Amino acid sequence: MLQINHLYKNYGKFLAVNNLCLRIPQGDLFGFVGPNGAGKTTTIRMVCGLMPPTAGNIMINGVDAFSNPKEIRKQIGYVPDFFGVYDNLKVREYMDLYGSMYRMNSRDIEKIADDLLELVNLSDKKEMYVDTLSRGMKQRLCVARALIHNPALLILDEPNSGLDPGARVEMKELLLNLKGMGKTIVISSHILSELSEMCNSIGIMNHGNLVTAGRIEDVLQSAFGSNNLVIGIKEHTDSAVRLLKEQAGVKVETIGEKEIRISHSLSEEEIAKMIAYLIGSGVVVTGFHTQEGNLETLFMQLTKPADAQPAGQGGGK
Amino acid sequence: MQMNPLVKKDVKVQSRSMRMSWGLFAYEAIMALVFFFAMMMIKQQSYWSEANIYSQIVMLYPVLAVTQIIIIGVTVPISTSSSISGEKERQTFDIMMTTSMTPFSIVWGKVMTAIIQNMFYVAAGMPVMALAFVIGGLSPVYLLWFLLIALLAAFFAASIGVLCSSSCKKSISATIMSYVFYLGFFILTAVPYWIAEMYMNDFAGRVFFWLLLLNPAVYLMEFFTWTMGGTSVIYDIISITSTGIKMSEEAAHNLWMAGAGILLVLVSFLFLWTAAKRITPIPKKKAKKLAHNSTGVQ
Repeated sequence: MLQINHLYKNYGKFLAVNNLCLRIPQGDLFGFVGPNGAGKTTTIRMVCGLMPPTAGNIMINGVDAFSNPKEIRKQIGYVPDFFGVYDNLKVREYMDLYGSMYRMNSRDIEKIADDLLELVNLSDKKEMYVDTLSRGMKQRLCVARALIHNPALLILDEPNSGLDPGARVEMKELLLNLKGMGKTIVISSHILSELSEMCNSIGIMNHGNLVTAGRIEDVLQSAFGSNNLVIGIKEHTDSAVRLLKEQAGVKVETIGEKEIRISHSLSEEEIAKMIAYLIGSGVVVTGFHTQEGNLETLFMQLTKPADAQPAGQGGGK
Repeated sequence: MQMNPLVKKDVKVQSRSMRMSWGLFAYEAIMALVFFFAMMMIKQQSYWSEANIYSQIVMLYPVLAVTQIIIIGVTVPISTSSSISGEKERQTFDIMMTTSMTPFSIVWGKVMTAIIQNMFYVAAGMPVMALAFVIGGLSPVYLLWFLLIALLAAFFAASIGVLCSSSCKKSISATIMSYVFYLGFFILTAVPYWIAEMYMNDFAGRVFFWLLLLNPAVYLMEFFTWTMGGTSVIYDIISITSTGIKMSEEAAHNLWMAGAGILLVLVSFLFLWTAAKRITPIPKKKAKKLAHNSTGVQ
């Protein structure tokens, strides 16, 4: 469905997107994650044809975005991060306006708008002025608007920002409904717990680079596949790190003030021996537990500033 | 043929707003004031010259017409300078650019909205204008001419407003830029001729004479002097400038009105084309280059 090849975007010397390669299959609900300034919105704007890349290529449904921009506009429904409204325009007229912008005839617009407003649960608000709707309603209306021309790809940039929990749940249900209908959806968000519940694939961006991408299970498996152990330390952290590095099959991943995270290929018995060895060497171990892999942990791990990562430490897996 | 969706939306939204009603009220108030003062002057003049007051009422026509053209010239840049930048401020511009609307249809829609809005005002001023025709005995053909001139003035001013709006992110900067551009255009198309005539040789005068074709003020002056007195300003300019052109006063007037009119329309289209280019997110040249490079990537 969406294929991005070697996409670059420079703002002068600043590299906003660096060699981005991504494939999103038909019917996927893809979560685009990254800290502020990671390059998500820039990528989304380039996919929507709102900004030229410095280099690279984007294909949607096999159509080159730069050779056939008109065709691409028909394939995309875009929901920006901010919902702009026109004063004195009713919900029905708002849908009619955007339907006309896709050169649809008024009979089709009316029929499709009715269906879409029902889908987003706004059928009873048709005659209301758009600026009187709540933020959650406006956001759902914006999704309905983006679907008026039946696009193959729906792109949402931070659709949940500023929404209350109830509106977020409604938005999540709406997106899952659309996914069930076979729509391909790309959603950029900071709310990782929601993304992990909704999306079947994700891509994490940091400093313009796509750090990881793929199906959520695969990404988590590759990140946390080897056993991860968090060891709580009260003091003597340095000597604990040194002792752990001496252990075969142990790699020190991160060092915190009061805990050390390691990845290992040890059996349960070997773990017990290692902990006993640490205690025996004078390290005060306050506890230890196996770390479960989740999106938040992965996100924090992958987007942590470079100086906070003890890269290359440990005795290898 | 489908109506431009932006025109449909903008006219609907504007018609519902109180701004439109107050605008019409202010327009009518200004027209009424001008009418009142013009009538006072006419009455005074007819008293001293002992001329028939009814024949003097014809003077209402240029006074009211010029008033309307000035109002158009002043208000259109305000209404159009926020057209594109307003969409950017409302953050509806990006959504619009992802639809099937072309950049030119967007700027065209904005210009058409401004013209329609101004034609509302002009239509509202018609009853007052009609007095000059009914009582003053002026031919209704001049009313038609006035409507065409008002349309041209609105189109020209709107195209400058939209061009400036497409270049600015904020409406306030676009409005200021519109007025600077507008005044600059008036000055730069008239002052060089005046300087050349005063301080330079005949050749410079002949060259800069043609710049006057682009000056809307000269165009309006020519229209009104001809309508009211049957004299052509352009014919006089041709006579004092050694252009070498030989023709009758009427021919000079007709050619000037047609030529300058067409030129102003073409310049307005040039402004709109530039505005459309400015809002195109991916210029054609860049898109071609990217498409060409991507064939090797796939």
